[in-house]
Amino acid sequence: KGRRNQKGKNRGCVLTEIHLNVTDLDLGYETKEELIFWYCSGSCDEAKTTYDKILKNVTRKKKLVTDKVRQACCRPTAFDDDLSFLDNNLVYHILKKHSAKRCGCV
Amino acid sequence: EPVLSKGNNCLDAAKACNLNDTCKRFRSAYITPCTSSTSNEICNKRKCHKALRLFFDKVPPKHSYGMLFCSCRDVACTERRRQTIVPVCSYEDREKPNCLNLQESCKKNYICRSRLADFFTNCQPESRSVSSCLKENYADCLLAYSGLIGTVMTPNYIDSNSLSVAPWCDCSNSGNDIDECEKFLNFFQDNTCLKNAIQAFGNGTDVNVW
Repeated sequence: KGRRNQKGKNRGCVLTEIHLNVTDLDLGYETKEELIFWYCSGSCDEAKTTYDKILKNVTRKKKLVTDKVRQACCRPTAFDDDLSFLDNNLVYHILKKHSAKRCGCV
Repeated sequence: EPVLSKGNNCLDAAKACNLNDTCKRFRSAYITPCTSSTSNEICNKRKCHKALRLFFDKVPPKHSYGMLFCSCRDVACTERRRQTIVPVCSYEDREKPNCLNLQESCKKNYICRSRLADFFTNCQPESRSVSSCLKENYADCLLAYSGLIGTVMTPNYIDSNSLSVAPWCDCSNSGNDIDECEKFLNFFQDNTCLKNAIQAFGNGTDVNVW
């Protein structure tokens, strides 16, 4: 069901799912409930904007003194719906912005 | 109760819900208002009830009934089942009104009035019938029962050992109407038609519900 980045060029950056236990997230919750975690992965090598193109070019020509500048990364551009679960002490919790809905090179 | 339970159907139903887009969305859509405290209240009961009605309206019975009518063998399971509707917000109240008074306030509301009538029609017990129901239709009884969730007549399991349910009311201070009040309350608490319907769903023995 991996929905692809609609912008075209960066075909590598896609939404991927993994079935996990809530405890696998290591957020401190004790529960036996589970979830589908959607994340963004893939390369963003194709320069998308003129900014990215310039960055690529000047890096190659070693005009940049710092290496702290970054190329675009594959990141969520929208998040999935909230997730709720009941913990082992019968307390409800809600996770917001925990899982990706769409991905993009940003 | 057994320490090592043979699985927990209510937990399995919750897992299945969160793996289904629709169920996951409408579940958190009611957990949020039902667990958010306001300045002077535990929650906004009106918003919690509305979101609960939406959950039972929109989510397929396979998932919604799965969590509400799951069959249990231990307390961990029955307690989870009791928590399905977030009773601290949707069910419990500071005072327990008289059931006939509660019925009066229900009748003043269009949704509550019609859903209560559906419940009395579709969960009417009949000892001579095979199913114990006059209407012989478990699915209609469960639909009518779950339809009450999110009204002032919201019912829930009253203890962890049985399938006894009741709205948040009792029959104290009934005066001359004590018989009528107990008859009303017992229709919830001691209803073989409803109990058999819940049991049949939990055991997966009534295919018509699906």
